[in-house]
Amino acid sequence: MTALPDLRPSRWAPLAALLTTSVLLTACGSGDDGSGAASGPAKSGGTLTFAVGSDSGCVDPQQVGSNDTIYSVRQIVDSLTDQDPKTGKIVPWLARSWDVSADATTFTFHLRSGVTFSDGSKLTAQVVKDNFDAVPRLGALGTLAEGYLSGVKSTTVVDPLTVKVAFRQPNAQFLQATSTHSLGIESSASVEKTPQQKCSDGVVGSGPFVLKQYVQNQSVTLTRRTGYDWGSALWSKKGEAYLDRLVFKVVPEAGVRAGSLRSGQVDAISSVGKANEAALKGGQVTLVSRANPGVVFGLGLNNARPLLKDVKVRRAILAAVDRKQIADTVFPTGTRPATSVLAHTTPDYTDLSTDLAFAAAKAKSLLNEAGWQTGSDGIRTKGGSRLALTINWFPNAATNQPALELVQQQLKAVAIDVVLKQLPVTQFATTLQSGDFDVVWANVTRADPDILRSSFSTRLANFYRLPAGSLDTALSAQAATADPAERGRLVAQAQQLIVRNAYNVPVVELQTQLGVSNKVHDLEFDSGSRVQLHDTWIG
Amino acid sequence: MRRYVVRRLAQAVGVLWAAYTVSFLVLDFLPGDPVSAMAGAGMDSGQPDPAQLARLRHEYGFDKPVLVQYAEYLGRAVRGDFGDAVSTGRPVTATLADALPQTLQLTGAALLLAVVLGGGLAVVATYTSRRWLRQLLLSLPPLGVSVPTFWVGLLLVEAFSFELRWFPAFGNDGLRGLVLPALTLAVPTGAQVAQVLAKSLLTALDQPYVETARAKGAGRWRVHLRHALRNASLPALTVVGLLVGQLIAGSVVVETVFSRDGLGRVTAAAVTTQDIPLVQGVVVFGALIFVATNLLVDLVYPLLDPRIVVAPDRRAGFA
Amino acid sequence: MSQSLVDDQAEAGLGPGRPVGDGSPAERGRPVGIRRVLSFLIRRPGLLLSAAVLVLVVLAAFRPDLFTSQDPLKGVPAQNFRGPSGSHWFGTDELGRDVFSRVVHGAQLSLRATLIAVLVAFVTGALLGVVAGFVGRWVDDVLMRFVDVLLSIPALFLSLALVTALGYGTVKVAVAVGIAGVASFARVARAEVLRVRQAVFVEASRSCGARWYSVLGRHVLPNAAGPVIVLATLDFGSSILAVSALSFLGYGAPPPAPEWGTLISDGRNYLANAWWLTALPGLAIAATVLAANRVARALDGEWARQR
Repeated sequence: MTALPDLRPSRWAPLAALLTTSVLLTACGSGDDGSGAASGPAKSGGTLTFAVGSDSGCVDPQQVGSNDTIYSVRQIVDSLTDQDPKTGKIVPWLARSWDVSADATTFTFHLRSGVTFSDGSKLTAQVVKDNFDAVPRLGALGTLAEGYLSGVKSTTVVDPLTVKVAFRQPNAQFLQATSTHSLGIESSASVEKTPQQKCSDGVVGSGPFVLKQYVQNQSVTLTRRTGYDWGSALWSKKGEAYLDRLVFKVVPEAGVRAGSLRSGQVDAISSVGKANEAALKGGQVTLVSRANPGVVFGLGLNNARPLLKDVKVRRAILAAVDRKQIADTVFPTGTRPATSVLAHTTPDYTDLSTDLAFAAAKAKSLLNEAGWQTGSDGIRTKGGSRLALTINWFPNAATNQPALELVQQQLKAVAIDVVLKQLPVTQFATTLQSGDFDVVWANVTRADPDILRSSFSTRLANFYRLPAGSLDTALSAQAATADPAERGRLVAQAQQLIVRNAYNVPVVELQTQLGVSNKVHDLEFDSGSRVQLHDTWIG
Repeated sequence: MRRYVVRRLAQAVGVLWAAYTVSFLVLDFLPGDPVSAMAGAGMDSGQPDPAQLARLRHEYGFDKPVLVQYAEYLGRAVRGDFGDAVSTGRPVTATLADALPQTLQLTGAALLLAVVLGGGLAVVATYTSRRWLRQLLLSLPPLGVSVPTFWVGLLLVEAFSFELRWFPAFGNDGLRGLVLPALTLAVPTGAQVAQVLAKSLLTALDQPYVETARAKGAGRWRVHLRHALRNASLPALTVVGLLVGQLIAGSVVVETVFSRDGLGRVTAAAVTTQDIPLVQGVVVFGALIFVATNLLVDLVYPLLDPRIVVAPDRRAGFA
Repeated sequence: MSQSLVDDQAEAGLGPGRPVGDGSPAERGRPVGIRRVLSFLIRRPGLLLSAAVLVLVVLAAFRPDLFTSQDPLKGVPAQNFRGPSGSHWFGTDELGRDVFSRVVHGAQLSLRATLIAVLVAFVTGALLGVVAGFVGRWVDDVLMRFVDVLLSIPALFLSLALVTALGYGTVKVAVAVGIAGVASFARVARAEVLRVRQAVFVEASRSCGARWYSVLGRHVLPNAAGPVIVLATLDFGSSILAVSALSFLGYGAPPPAPEWGTLISDGRNYLANAWWLTALPGLAIAATVLAANRVARALDGEWARQR
């Protein structure tokens, strides 16, 4: 998801140009397609075994937000549009074409005919309407999809293959949103189920693969959809996918994943950290990586907590983190320390590296000013309370624990005590929603700066309990602005407000790195740095 | 004999009831509030509102006096209903039943390995006349009970999976995938089998009937196997219940190490998410396995050892 | 796991091969000559080594600075994943921390937890056993049935249920392991109390009109203590295993605390590139448990037999 909507007017052109240059596509191996040396023509058949690190407890693409699960559920559904990971251009998929009103409030999609879901039902405008009508009711887990459709006025069926989505205000990000897995189209029968049923039983989609079996915390098995013939315009193979079966196995330990890939027990693995690079390099494995756009990995502060209400404390934390050390020690080679709350591959990213420079002395003096004095146990106290924070984290990437242990050391150096508390991945959404946390270690991948509004606007979920203020104005205004230059200015302003008030402590950009066996060819990243497996083959 | 069977059955049921009670006491007097946890875990719920909490509390009976709750829960448990797992909303019994076959496969294979390897070691160690061999063999069981199973598992993975590539490092696939986890689980159990059997073999070899058999001209190997082993294995049989319970519990660690699906991993996940009904189900199930195995052993024992007509309570620990 | 030694415990409870019944109580109380201890040890190099290992581990638990001067919590990130060498005996971990120092400092957490576990099991178990054995009648029945029930639940499951109820942390894990070990102590203590109570000299002193507490304090407890102490030594080994298994599963202290089980669990993420992160801390656990068991066996059998 590396770009903005492909709105017809040419005023978007400068932005598109900016994007093409800013899309980072690092490949540590021989290429960005995950294949080794070319070995003959592509052939059909076979099973791809993909080891992922976690299971988010849900196999509904509209609700899932964790990469390890998106890898599998993405294959079940098609989206209205697709986005070219190289250019950021929006291209046809289930929609042959679309029209966007000049003020970006109305989006009309012309659907492809002859598309069927794996339960036999047909794709019609009514099905799309059913999906978009149901999304706002998804609740806790579906916040991504919900956010994309926030402010929707109505979805109307124009004719059996034409559907019109209207918003109350201009909604610049919506076209790009239709390319995401979160707005993947499910059959009407699936839409009628409760969110919880969709999570545990899975959904029926029109995608190149069909969910065969889901065993929680264990595996997701998909089989090829026979008769599939409506792939994205980006895919090179027409018709059905090459592979017969996809098996995603949950293997929580990065070391076991790496060893299993090296010894040939699995064909691909997710989340390769720096530690395992050396062991995987050479041999029959290629490492492929791609920087994720969106909100970077960082400390999601609960701004309503008494300790964190004080901007000086928050800014001290911001200054006490040595981002470069963390990026260099733990994350894949080439990972960048955060230089804003947005990753540098996100449109309208602004470089705030001077605000995010490591400055322990500044952190100490800020804390002293705020009245926190170092006590006998080496931790600061003020009025009898200790400067102690609990960081909740979720084992959805192997890099989380070592990164946070470094954060813990760095904050200890300015006499802030940090307790690390691991929670199951399945509790991510509920933790944020409950508000019962000091700090959460999190990121959000999205190729549109509107993700700032989803994450930090007090008018939406406001998980981080920010106070209402000028940030809201900027965030709402950028979403309603159809003028790219004006939008860029507002997004930059929002980033500055977030960083200078230290509502959030950006730490490091996420760079997705996969390990892929050399016998696997054409395993492609999509625009959101997740994988597309329709074109993938084994030979 | 019939009276003995009836009495043992009654005892078994009594122990199960008490195990349920103990688990109820431990888990239902939690400092936390199980209902808030449930409301949080329900994926379709938004911010849990007080009315919803009250409704849940009512639904689960938490608004009733503890004794009433206990009686209701016990009544349901007797019918095999342990409620629904909080994290998934599926019935506990079904969750356990789904996970059980994988774990039975694992523990069955481990028990087999333990008996064959541990028993073989004991027989060879007591038979051989080479002092160094005997000492070497007899030094293995103390080692086996001293090494952490998770460590053994990881070393096996490194050696046989990553380096030699003979067996997969994780998962539930087929017989090859069973080898390393079963071996890991069998190490402490096999060591105990070896210890018990070696000891009773040595005792048996001192018995008069062995002398008699030898005097009658039976070969050494024959005496060892036919006479001594047969008698020595009876006391070893009495610890089987204990071993099976240990194996089932050991699956928690081994299934975690090998990322295998099964009861153990379900248990570990249940503890992590504080899934009380599920943990309770696991505890009672563990007791059930232990009690059932012991019952079986006790009922089979008199058939194997004709000297015993009505067996006293011989089992270790049931003084 | 805590139950891996139950067999030995069962043996201690059952009696065969157990020396306690041999010597007369008077002889057991006799002070032991240093020279005899030494000569006993010298003929058993393995035992000597075990004793030395235990002493070192206990010393490490209380004075870790005697063994290493490196910081267990803070390392040099640039020097991560160094293999074992002269400057880092056990290598360095993913953040460049010295693994040997982490193991040594980990002894503090893990051994403390183990001691708490043994203490909980010992005190609670012995109390139950002594009361049951000394009071007898229905009290004995009720207590021992309760102990039977505890025994019927596999120890690890019982510990896990307690962890679910109590929450995570070193001390909570220790208590959970301790409670799971109560039953075997109760059994052994009761059996000993019964045995001693029926002994001639106790009967005699009772018939002489001694008060029950003086009989208990002067005769029964000192004479019943032996096997219980042996069991405590055995339980020490199995408790280390149980505590580290629970911390391996992630129920111990949160990072960066270097509990032994946690060290191995964290090392799993680097199994493919840094074998020492799992292998060497595991070796420390195995050596400690082996040493404790060897000493327990000596206390239990060999020493008594030699006398």
